[in-house]
Amino acid sequence: MRLKTLVAVLGVGAVVACAPVQSGPKNSGTDEQTGQVRVWLFDEVNRGPKEAVVKEAISEFQGKHSGVTVDVQYIQVSSRAERFKAAFSDPKSAPDVAEFGNTDLAGYVSAGGFSELDLSGWTESKDLVPTILDTAKVDGKTYGVPWFVGVRALYYRTDVFSELGLKPPTSLDEIAPLAREIRQRKPELIGISAGGKYLFAALPFIWANGGDLAKSDGGKFTAAIDSPQARAGVAKYAELIKDDICPPAACAGNGGDASVEAFRAGKAAMTIGGDFNRKSVDASSAAGKYAVVPLPGKDKGSVAPAFAGGNLLGVLKGTQRKTLATEFTQLLASKKYQQKMYAAMGNLPTFSDVQKQVADSDKFLEPFTKTLQSGTKFVPVTPAWAKIEAQAVVPTMLQEVVTGAKNVDTATADAAKTMNAAFTS
Amino acid sequence: MRRWITESFVLVVAAVVAFPLFWMVLSAFKPEDEIISADPVPWTTRPTLDSFTRALTVANFGRYFMNSIIVALIVVALSILISFLAATALTRFRFRSRTTLLVMLLVVQMVPVEALTVPLFFLMRSVGDSVPVFGLNHLGSLVLVHLAFSLPFAIWMLRGFVAAVPVELEEAATLDGASRFRFLWQVLFPLVAPGLVATSVLSFIHAWNDFLFAKTFIISAVENQTLPLALQVFVKPDQNDWGAIMAGSTLMTIPVLIFFVLVQRRLVSGLAGAVKG
Amino acid sequence: MTAKGQGRTAFAYLAPALLVLAGLLAYPIYQLVLISLYDYGQEQVSGGAPLEFLGLGNYQELLGNQQFWGVLGQTVAFAAVCVVGTLLVGAFLAILATRVRTWVRMTLFLAALGAWSTPAVAGSTIWLFLFDANFGFVNEVLGIQGFSWTFDKWTAFGLVAAQVIWCSFPFVMVTLYAGIKAIPGEVLEAAALDGASAFRTAWSVTLPLLRPIILVVTIQSIIWDFKVFTQIYVMTGGGGIAGRNLVLNVYAYQQAFAASEYGLGAAIGVVMTVLLLGITMFYLRALRRSGEVL
Repeated sequence: MRLKTLVAVLGVGAVVACAPVQSGPKNSGTDEQTGQVRVWLFDEVNRGPKEAVVKEAISEFQGKHSGVTVDVQYIQVSSRAERFKAAFSDPKSAPDVAEFGNTDLAGYVSAGGFSELDLSGWTESKDLVPTILDTAKVDGKTYGVPWFVGVRALYYRTDVFSELGLKPPTSLDEIAPLAREIRQRKPELIGISAGGKYLFAALPFIWANGGDLAKSDGGKFTAAIDSPQARAGVAKYAELIKDDICPPAACAGNGGDASVEAFRAGKAAMTIGGDFNRKSVDASSAAGKYAVVPLPGKDKGSVAPAFAGGNLLGVLKGTQRKTLATEFTQLLASKKYQQKMYAAMGNLPTFSDVQKQVADSDKFLEPFTKTLQSGTKFVPVTPAWAKIEAQAVVPTMLQEVVTGAKNVDTATADAAKTMNAAFTS
Repeated sequence: MRRWITESFVLVVAAVVAFPLFWMVLSAFKPEDEIISADPVPWTTRPTLDSFTRALTVANFGRYFMNSIIVALIVVALSILISFLAATALTRFRFRSRTTLLVMLLVVQMVPVEALTVPLFFLMRSVGDSVPVFGLNHLGSLVLVHLAFSLPFAIWMLRGFVAAVPVELEEAATLDGASRFRFLWQVLFPLVAPGLVATSVLSFIHAWNDFLFAKTFIISAVENQTLPLALQVFVKPDQNDWGAIMAGSTLMTIPVLIFFVLVQRRLVSGLAGAVKG
Repeated sequence: MTAKGQGRTAFAYLAPALLVLAGLLAYPIYQLVLISLYDYGQEQVSGGAPLEFLGLGNYQELLGNQQFWGVLGQTVAFAAVCVVGTLLVGAFLAILATRVRTWVRMTLFLAALGAWSTPAVAGSTIWLFLFDANFGFVNEVLGIQGFSWTFDKWTAFGLVAAQVIWCSFPFVMVTLYAGIKAIPGEVLEAAALDGASAFRTAWSVTLPLLRPIILVVTIQSIIWDFKVFTQIYVMTGGGGIAGRNLVLNVYAYQQAFAASEYGLGAAIGVVMTVLLLGITMFYLRALRRSGEVL
């Protein structure tokens, strides 16, 4: 390559710009009371029922505010990252209100995407389950309203259990021996389908043993995955991914989807699945032959803390209609519409009283609402977590343990080192 | 006899190559509980159109289908024209910085696409301020970016085919008094047509299957989405709808096959035409 | 024509291509190099945080990371296997395709086209389904149910390589077939009249004429296979058990893009480009020594 040409090209470029492009400030400062409120919601495979509920909310909202229209766009979950990043950088394309996953919150907030919400004037908000509302907070400030939650519990095959004369486990430590016994007596079955990449199944084991991923000290996180308690939890979970329960060759590479898949295909006696997996399990060969109990905790009869997944509704920072957007958010996330959303899509509500109502009407939900009421936990709320998750730090650690590449102490110590590097960067 | 053996062998290879495709189509027709089952069989006794129904009832399927077709066809047409001219220049003429250019054309293909999305995003945003049709949220932005990514490859590729045309032929045509323009389009173009087929199929597939740029550039204009993006609705963490994904992929493959059947005649007829003319 | 006249005509032909490429690729690549010198995350992109100039900091972080070098070696070896496999299968089938009747050839081409055009995610998923340890058809037929292809590092790489070859040989095959067909009949006839054997014709007439095309498909294959992403990402679940099946592009995604660390991502992109350029230049040099002119 000719150096001269290269220099010329670079020279021209240097005149055009000397630093990477950035988006300008976008806080408009205006708060218009009329016009169009733009809303982004996640698209669903059968979104008809969801759309109907949302339309109802819109007509109620438009009835109350003259001169206001609401325009809803449905975006795909799998392309959400690019969409939101683009919206933060191009306010012209951004909505006023958006649905988003609670694990994405910290990243979106630090990117300056969402604005703080003041829920004090909203009476219903006091009934929001506190641990769920925590998933909408960063550094103590609220940036969204929990719209629905997803939580995992223990699925087991009733036919297998009654054939072998077994009862579902009542404490966390009973799971491994029970699963081992099933596989011993029925070698074609996986005792419990656990996955080396199934973070949300491993977390309850860590939490139930008194450990955590990281601890926060005034907003500064440090890894805690190498604490004795967390190590005990990791060891307990890794015990499941052994040849006598769930062979590493079949299970070490599995995430949540594949773990539940084995249960659906009738290959596993137990698995950890979410309330949202119900429909797919009911459409599988395990249909009608399974039941669900809360994942038991350390003590007999207790419930292990579960990961509180779910979606939030929030108001974007660049909005020119903050008051209207906030009001619409509160309407769509209200008890009335959460109930309707449950009826339409099966989404678990975030208000404790509404949760009780739906559980009373549908026995299937009981183990899940019971899990929610006994307290849920969450991943570290910091943008660094997005990096740790992308780098698959925890799954890699689990896989190193189950394949015997490292022992629990070394694997957790190495993971802690990587996590701390992300927290401090 | 020998041909019989060769042909059987080729057909066996074709069957092996097509088997995963067969499985894809089969999975699309299987009922949900059979797609992943402990007893996989290469048939189904309960074929169903459920998965196709789910894929086809994605809101505005027709609109997104047309968007994808329009983008892919415009990209193919423009890239053929532009790359043919450029390839001719790079093969038939000697000039300074020719090698530099050729290497640059390779370099731009080496950069990981992911790394370019952010600069391209800002570029499209500024383009849109002056020419809205080529800016964010418009199909024009997709045409531009796919064109840019297909050109370097197309130029290199056609260069090979132009180079394979004997120079004597050009000299003969010039002696016959054909103008440069006539030579280019009536002699050379048909001669490299087989190369154009491979090139255009590739450009078509790239533009047709892409969703990285579609999801980066088409932010709020839902009506300008492309089909692969719309079909992403079936991909969800922890609960993929495999039946619909397979049905959607089957539907996505059909237009490419049609496109190939339409252009494949040019794989051989390029030369025949030129020699006669 | 004078050299100057040639240059002017050439430039006229090149102008449209240069316009598109300069605007849409050269400028973004220049930006990419700039970005690689900064701490440039989502906060910086959307204007929520000031830019911080790191100089070569991103490169230091990358090159100082032991894992990067391991992944790099793996990528080169994996890409080499894929390139060689793709070229051999493609060339072999292209030659066979010239010797069979039209309908047989069309059958092969349509099957190959299907493999080529299947969206990468779907193609990888189907292969995973077929080779699944417990639910896969292949294990059922071979009677080795429970054997996991994706668990062991080497079978996992082998399976992914097979999938990559499956979806990239059609390009080589169609291109080489077109190349063979584009050789003027008179040239071959002349050789035959001179009494050359079929093998001699292939070796000393067909092959030299095909060289520019072989050059292109080889370079293109190197570039594409070096940048494999979807197949590894989908089939080994994001880089294999404990990351042992990582290749550079997946590594870049994991370390940088998924977490919006564009600065580091751009640095990886630059390093990858330089590497690829090196490999390609080496290949071109070798060709030039054997008499090929670019």
